[in-house]
Amino acid sequence: MRTTRRGLIVAGGVAAFPVGARAAPRSDGQVLEELLGLERRLEEAYDAALRRDAVAEGLGRRLLEQEREHARGLELLLNARGRRSPEAFVRDPGLTRGLRDRQAFARYALDLERRAVQAYVAAAAGVGDGGVRERLGAIMASEAQHEVALRDSLGEPLLGV
Amino acid sequence: MPLSLTRRAALGGAAAALASCASQDEPPRSGARPGSGAGLLNSILVIEHTVVAAYGVGIELLRGDALRYARQIERREREHVRTLERLIRDLGAPSARPRTADEYARSFPRLSTADDALRLAEDLEERLVRVYLEALADLPDEGLRTAAARIGADEGAHLAVVGLLRGAPAAPAAFVTGTA
Repeated sequence: MRTTRRGLIVAGGVAAFPVGARAAPRSDGQVLEELLGLERRLEEAYDAALRRDAVAEGLGRRLLEQEREHARGLELLLNARGRRSPEAFVRDPGLTRGLRDRQAFARYALDLERRAVQAYVAAAAGVGDGGVRERLGAIMASEAQHEVALRDSLGEPLLGV
Repeated sequence: MPLSLTRRAALGGAAAALASCASQDEPPRSGARPGSGAGLLNSILVIEHTVVAAYGVGIELLRGDALRYARQIERREREHVRTLERLIRDLGAPSARPRTADEYARSFPRLSTADDALRLAEDLEERLVRVYLEALADLPDEGLRTAAARIGADEGAHLAVVGLLRGAPAAPAAFVTGTA
């Protein structure tokens, strides 16, 4: 099934989520693959931050494990469609800069999580299968909670603004 | 002086409050076409009205950060109410109206401490997450689902804030289903 929706665009190695842009129609499988790529980028970020002490241990471990669970959930959805999980994903060249210190990393991760929420909003509204939309919504809400956790670590207003 | 609510009592009280509102505030007869989603959105609107009223009651027990965030969340819930009313109106249906403050207050569990208020808020935010996820599955139109998804993400964030205010982690689970 193909539907028209805003989608992820990987440009210059950085995932961008066009606002107001009309993306090409994408299959549900393609949308799930793109979300999986995003989850792997988040996973890579938290893993690298833990190794460089760029995030508090407890917070970093919790968010890393949750991103892994999201990725596993997406893989199951892809497998149920007869698709194999893509092995490769585009690394974000901005990650190195984000690992300078804890504050830099929290800001980097916050931006990534914000983009993830936008991507899940589009996907949870756009894919054809109602059950899948509901599952993607549960991940979307989790990523929104990650934003709150990161703002808390920065000492910023928890709901932004 | 009543004893502080247990978690079970808070959950039961919130559920009872929502059930009471749902049973008495029948969504208005719709002028929208069947299957438009107006009925479902009106059911959610009834819950949003209840949540706004609950924050109004709970806020009286809160101080400091908890008060500040409860006020901010209440304002955001009012925005959700306005969004739902607009969507329902655009579908050609009348929107559910709130009950009076007294009617809501009578349906809520008795709150005597700040933690009682936060527990009730936590339970109601869980309920909101749940209904918006269900709406994602059931709403027939992508535009309506996009609105539901955006609000659902907000509710996930509200749940995280209330959790933090109660001393819990902001993000306790990988899948936020509203059934904790």
